[in-house]
Amino acid sequence: MKKKLVILMLFLFISGCSKDNGKTAASVEVYESESSKEQNTKQEIESKEEKEADYKGYAFVYDDVVIEINAPAAPVLEKLGEANSYFEAPSCAFDGIDKIYTYNSFELDTYPLDGEDFVSSVLFKDDTVATMEGICIGDSAEKLAEAYGETSTEEDGKTVYCKDGIKLCFIIEDGCISSIEYKTTILDE
Amino acid sequence: MNKKVILRFFLSAFIVLGSLYFLQRLLVPKYASGIVEGAMIAEYYQEEKNHDVIFIGDCEVYENFSPQVLWDDFGINSYIRGSAEQLIWQSYYILEDTLRYEKPKAVVFNIQSMQFDKPQKEAYNRMTLDGMEWSWSKVKSIKASMTDKEKYLDYVFPILRYHSRWNELSKDDINYMFKKPKVSHNGYYMRVDVKPAGNIPDPKPLGDYHFGKNAYRYLDDIVELCDANDIQLVLVKAPSLYPFWYDEWEEQIVEYAKEKKLPYINFLKLTEEIGIDYNTDTYDGGLHMNLSGAEKLSRYMGAYLINETNVSDRRGDAKLSKSWEEKRRLYEMDAQKQYESINEGEY
Repeated sequence: MKKKLVILMLFLFISGCSKDNGKTAASVEVYESESSKEQNTKQEIESKEEKEADYKGYAFVYDDVVIEINAPAAPVLEKLGEANSYFEAPSCAFDGIDKIYTYNSFELDTYPLDGEDFVSSVLFKDDTVATMEGICIGDSAEKLAEAYGETSTEEDGKTVYCKDGIKLCFIIEDGCISSIEYKTTILDE
Repeated sequence: MNKKVILRFFLSAFIVLGSLYFLQRLLVPKYASGIVEGAMIAEYYQEEKNHDVIFIGDCEVYENFSPQVLWDDFGINSYIRGSAEQLIWQSYYILEDTLRYEKPKAVVFNIQSMQFDKPQKEAYNRMTLDGMEWSWSKVKSIKASMTDKEKYLDYVFPILRYHSRWNELSKDDINYMFKKPKVSHNGYYMRVDVKPAGNIPDPKPLGDYHFGKNAYRYLDDIVELCDANDIQLVLVKAPSLYPFWYDEWEEQIVEYAKEKKLPYINFLKLTEEIGIDYNTDTYDGGLHMNLSGAEKLSRYMGAYLINETNVSDRRGDAKLSKSWEEKRRLYEMDAQKQYESINEGEY
């Protein structure tokens, strides 16, 4: 009887422990996962902050490639890999060619200056990409105002935020963002 | 003594002004090679002015229509007063300027420039405005075209704008100080090379598809000017695939043409009928026609002008025929020279 009691207690102890252990293990996993998430987010923010510190105005980050408007296009294009399609638009009566590279989710345009190509604009093509401030096509106008504030201007039917000579343009239709484009102002001059 | 002082004064003034004039002639861009489009507006003034048809507009007229074909096939004496990114108010003032010299029976206006409602770029302004002879039309055109950073005086005295070109001067600047070579064929900019159209990007969404008030105002002015001078105005949209011509724009022009009872031809819708093949008829991937494409388009345009307007065949005019014979010689020579350059791998 004593033996049975000892075995039962041992079983309860073991099962209890194992239960506890399981719970602990799961908690650790959750904790670790939350902690790594927090760490990742922290790292992302830090890396974004670092990137933010590196560029002027607004920039777009795609697959860890920072695409800065007015920056030399060659290194960006190399990092992005081959575009889905490529189009050349020679400027009327000027030397050099405006180039348009279309990727899955965005279009990147370049302009020539002194024999080198520079990024002139980035246009989002769907909602799988977002601005560094977390805005993507389909978001509401309220979310846009929360992210960027009320400092925008209206230009040709677009809501435009301008910083350091770079425009971030949004088209809003029925309260939702239908188009997002980063643009240089250099070509406006 | 007084006479001597006065003489000295005038002599000094003459020397200073003469030097400034000489420097200005040296420093202003000549557009004789490379970017020749800047020389087109001025070239018109050397022509004998008795044209039946005048084309006005941007590159979509001067690269897509061949006056030589209009003459050869239909006896239409025409000239293209086109320039790079010619804005609609510039088209209006160029037409006004043209009417100082001649009264054509028809004016063909390419409506691509309706998309712009305000001044754009100084570089393009210069290519249109610098070539105009001085008149009120030029003054008004400058004032309508200037961007915020431009100054009117820089147009009056181009040396103020171009003085810094001294370190960019080339042989052209010396060779063509006083006389420039012809760069066009009655305003047509010829290109014979071929680059098939392909990968045309999707049109960028616009925030507002409505043409601006200023653009409409000048379109109204063009219509009124033609009406007042009994000129048939024909609105056209050249068959350029890029920049994109939006359906919303098309609707507005169709509506406008209907309201004003004007003919409007959108060649983008007629490419099959005209026989344009974007694999062989464009030199820059669908933006502009090459010689082959421009000639096809001109045959369609010529038939339209003969059949639908009061423009008539003038091949019976011996003097005019002789003048066009010489033009044809230069036209063929230019084409030949370009084909040879292609064969030598220069394009």
